[in-house]
Amino acid sequence: MAIAGLVVTAIVAFILVVLFISWFSNPPFGWGDAPAQPINFPHDVHAGSVEDGGHAIQCEFCHRNVTSGAAATVPAVEVCVICHKQINGSNVTEGARQSIEELNPDQLINIQRVLDKHAEERPIDWERVHRLPDHVRFVHEAHIRFLTQGEARIVTLPVGDEKPMNLPVTVPEACSVCHGDVAHMEEVQPQDGQSLKMGTCLDCHRENDVSTDCTICHK
Amino acid sequence: MKLTRRNFLAWAGIAATGAIACDLFDDELRVQSPALIPEDLVKGRDNWYATYDNSVPGGQSLLVRVMEGRAKKVRGNPRFPTNQGKQSPAADALLQSLYHPDRIAGPMLRNGPRGSGRYRAISWEEALNRFNAAVADRGDGMLLVTESRCAGFAHICKAFVDAFGGTHYRFDAMDDSAYRAAAKNVMGVENPGHDIANAYALASFGSDFLSTWGSPTAYSVAYGKFRSRPNVEDRGRHYHFGSRYSMTAANADKWIPINPGAEGYAALALAWAVASTHPESSAVAQITGEAGPGPLRDFNPDALVEVLGIPGEVLDGKSLREFFEDLAHDYMAHGGLAIGGGGEAGAYSNGRFNAEAVLALNYLLGNVGKAGGILINPGPVFPNDPEIAGLTSLADWQRATTDINSGRTGLVIIHNADPVYALPSGVGFGAALANDNVVIISSSPFIDDTTVMADLLIPDRTALEDWGDESPELFTGRQLYPVQQPVVNPLADLDPRSFADVMISAAIDLGHGDSMPAASYEELIRANVAELGMDFTEALKNGGWWSEPVASKAPEPAAGLLNDIIRRAALADSTGGGDFQLLPFAHHTVLDGRNAHLPWAQSAPDPLTTIAWQTWVEINEKQGRAMGLREGDVVNITTSAGSIQALAYLNPGMPPGIAAVPMGGGRRSGSDYAAGRDARESGNVMSILAASANDSGGLTWSANRCSITPMGDSMAVSKLEGGYTSREVGEHPAEQVYKSVSAEGGH
Repeated sequence: MAIAGLVVTAIVAFILVVLFISWFSNPPFGWGDAPAQPINFPHDVHAGSVEDGGHAIQCEFCHRNVTSGAAATVPAVEVCVICHKQINGSNVTEGARQSIEELNPDQLINIQRVLDKHAEERPIDWERVHRLPDHVRFVHEAHIRFLTQGEARIVTLPVGDEKPMNLPVTVPEACSVCHGDVAHMEEVQPQDGQSLKMGTCLDCHRENDVSTDCTICHK
Repeated sequence: MKLTRRNFLAWAGIAATGAIACDLFDDELRVQSPALIPEDLVKGRDNWYATYDNSVPGGQSLLVRVMEGRAKKVRGNPRFPTNQGKQSPAADALLQSLYHPDRIAGPMLRNGPRGSGRYRAISWEEALNRFNAAVADRGDGMLLVTESRCAGFAHICKAFVDAFGGTHYRFDAMDDSAYRAAAKNVMGVENPGHDIANAYALASFGSDFLSTWGSPTAYSVAYGKFRSRPNVEDRGRHYHFGSRYSMTAANADKWIPINPGAEGYAALALAWAVASTHPESSAVAQITGEAGPGPLRDFNPDALVEVLGIPGEVLDGKSLREFFEDLAHDYMAHGGLAIGGGGEAGAYSNGRFNAEAVLALNYLLGNVGKAGGILINPGPVFPNDPEIAGLTSLADWQRATTDINSGRTGLVIIHNADPVYALPSGVGFGAALANDNVVIISSSPFIDDTTVMADLLIPDRTALEDWGDESPELFTGRQLYPVQQPVVNPLADLDPRSFADVMISAAIDLGHGDSMPAASYEELIRANVAELGMDFTEALKNGGWWSEPVASKAPEPAAGLLNDIIRRAALADSTGGGDFQLLPFAHHTVLDGRNAHLPWAQSAPDPLTTIAWQTWVEINEKQGRAMGLREGDVVNITTSAGSIQALAYLNPGMPPGIAAVPMGGGRRSGSDYAAGRDARESGNVMSILAASANDSGGLTWSANRCSITPMGDSMAVSKLEGGYTSREVGEHPAEQVYKSVSAEGGH
C-alpha cells in the first residue's frame, strides 16, 4: 500500500513538474517542438547571413505586413515564386546558376512542391509555430516600431537572453527578441526558455513604462 | 436529465475528449499561404531600381518603382546626364509590355502554314537544340536583324554573326542615314551635339526634335531651360522651317512653312544673309574662304521665292530678303544655333544636301565648339562602338531580299525589329520571307508582321526583365555607359530567355565560345563596369557610369566644304503623282509602330490633334472643304506603290498640298490592340511608300506624292479636342449671377 502510495505520489509529482515547466517555459521531451510543416522551409538558407551560407533576405521581405500591421502575415506562394521561378533546378539563368548548384536533391523536391502549389493555384497550409490566445491583441507594427525607431537608448527586455540591448535595432534583430534567432534555424522553433505568456508581456511593458491596462492587450 | 455537478463534470469530460479526438484545433493551428499575392496585401512598400530603356529614340535612364515583385511606375533618372529625371510617355508604356496578355509565353514551334500564326509550345531544351541546329547548318549566310543598339548587345551580335559567317543588320524605320552621312562629312562625327539649353536663338529645319527625332526627351529638357531663363530678354527665341505643322513647329515662336524638301535652301538662304550682313565675321571668312557671300550668291532669298514657297503672311510685311537679313542680325547678335536637317528633312531625295546645309550654317554662325552651339561628345566609352552602331540603308535591305530569294541566305533571325511592316512593300522583304528555303527564327517577345513568319519563337525578356547596356550619342560633354538591369522577374506563367545569352550559349555549344566577349551578357556588363573602375552595385544604383565633363573639341570645316555642299544642291524630287505631298511622321508614343501593341501608347492622344487609336490624314482645312471633306470622312490615300485608308482631319495649320499621316497603324499580325483593326481607321502608311533611295542611300520616306479620294463613308474621330465648345463663362443667365459674385463673397 505504501509502495502504491509512493508510485502515485511520484507520478503526480512528475505530472506537476511537467505542468510547471510547461507553464513557465517550453514543455520538455519535445512536446513543445514546432509541428511538422507541409514543405521544408529552411529559414537559415533564406534569412541567414551570407557568411553562414544564407541569402540574407530580410524578414519583412516575405512577412510584408510586419512593419505596418497587426499580423506579420505569411507570404503568398507567388512571393516564393518571384525568386524560385529562377532558382528551381531546371530553368538555369546565369544570375541563378550559383544558387542552383548549391542545392541538394531534398531542397529541389521542396522547391518543386512550392512551384506545384503555385501552378495549381492552391495554398500551402503552414502549421503555426507561435500562437497567442484568441483574446489577445498583439500588434506587430507597434513592437517593431518601438525597437527599431526613436533615440538611442539601452533597455533590458525580459525575453531571450535578457542582456541589455542598444536600441534602435534593425527589423530582423527586433523580430529575434521574441522569435529567437530564426535566421539561423533550419526549422523555426519557439525560443528556449520563453513562453510568450502574459507575464512576459507585463514584465516587458513595466520595464519600458508602457501601459499595463487590460484593454491594451485584451480584446 | 437533471444538471447535477456529477453530470456537468461527466459531460465536460466527454466534450473535452470528443474535441481532442476530433482534432478540433487543427484549423486553429494552421495558417494558409494564398497562391497569388492578394491585392489587399500590397502595403505600399516600394523599391526603386535604376535601369535603362533603349526602345525610345535616344534612349533614357529610368527609375522603376517595384512593389511585391511587380513594376508599377517608371520615371526618369534624375542623376543621368541626358534625360535628367524626365521620361517620354512611350517609356511609361513599357510597364504594359511586362504584363501584356499577348506576350509570347515561351518557346514555340510553328505547326501551321508560314504566317498563319499557329504555334505549339515546346521546351527550351528542344528550342535551343533547334536553334543550334539551324545556326550550325545555315549560319554561313545567316542574317541577324535587330533593333538599333550599341555597346555590349551589339558586340555580342557582331561576335555571333562573325563566328558563323553571317551578317548583322540594325533596323530603324525612321531611316536617318542621310543625316548621319552629312554630319560625318560636315562635323566629323555622325551625331554632333546641339547645346540647346545655352543657345539664345534657335533655327530648326524640318526635324521634329521635340517629339521623335534624335533624343526628344533630352532635347525637351534642354528646351525647357532654353525657354525658362529668369530674364525675359534672355529667353531663347525659336524659328522653325518645315512643311508640316509638327510638335516642334507648334512650340516655335514662329513657324515658317516651306515647300517640301526645301530645308537645305532655307538654311543656305540664312547662310547667305549671315555672310552678306557680316562679311567681317571670322567664322564667315573661314567657311567662305574670305569670299563673303560670293559662293552663296545663288541662295539670295530674292531668287528663292518659288523654291521656298514661304507664304507672305509670315514675313511681317517684309520682303523675303529683308526677313532673312533680320534673322541673320538676330542670330549673329545673340548666338544662334541651327538644328535639324534629319528626320523628314533628310528623307527627301536631296536629304543629304538638306542636312549638310543646316549643319554647315553653324560654322557661319560661329557657334561650333562653343556653349550654346554645336558641341562634339568626347566619344564612346568603348572605341569600336561607332563601327558596329551603323544602321542599314535601303540598298542593304534590297540586297538582303535578293540573297534570301537566291538562297544565299538560308537563316533569318529577328529580334525586336519589324521590317516586314515598316519597309516599303516594294522592297519585297516580306515576300522573300515567304520563301520555303529560308528558316526564320524570332526572339521578339510579341508577335508582329515579321515574327509571325517565324518557324521558331524563342521569346526574349522585355527591357525591364533583362540586362543591357548602351552607348548614347547625345551630347552631355561626358562619356556615358548606362546599365540596364532586370528590375523584375517575368510573371510566373511566362518563360522568356535573354536573347543575348541564347546567342552566347549557342556559340559555346557549337565550339565558338572563344569568339564571344563573355560567358553571359551580365558578365560582359560586369567586366565593362570593372574596367571603368566602378563598383558594380554603385553602377546599378546610379543607372550606369559616366565620366566627369570633358571639354568639347571643335571640328574644323574641311577646305571647300561649302562649295561641295552648294554643288550638291538639288530640289527635292518626289515619286508618283497627285495633289498632295505625303509626309509620314512617327507617332509621338506608338513611334514607327513598335509600340502599337501597347494600349497606353495607342491611347495617348497625339499632342496636336488629340487623336488616339486611329490613323488619320491631316490636310489643310480650306483645301479639304473644297474637296467636300469633313472631319472623320474615310479617304483613300493612293501613291505609286499602293493605297491605304485613313480618316480625314482638317487642320487649319497644315499647309495646302501636304498630307501628313502618322506611322504605327495597320499592323496585320499580333496583338489585338495593333492588328486586325478596321482598315478605315488603321492603315500602314509605310506600306505605300516607294522603295527609292536618297543621295546617301537612305529610304526617301518623305518623297512621295499621293492623291486623296473620299470613300463616301465616315467615322467618328477618337479625339479629346472639340468635345466641348470653348466659350467665355458668363453668357448663361445663371452664370451671370455666378460671375457677379466677387472672390471675397460680396456683390
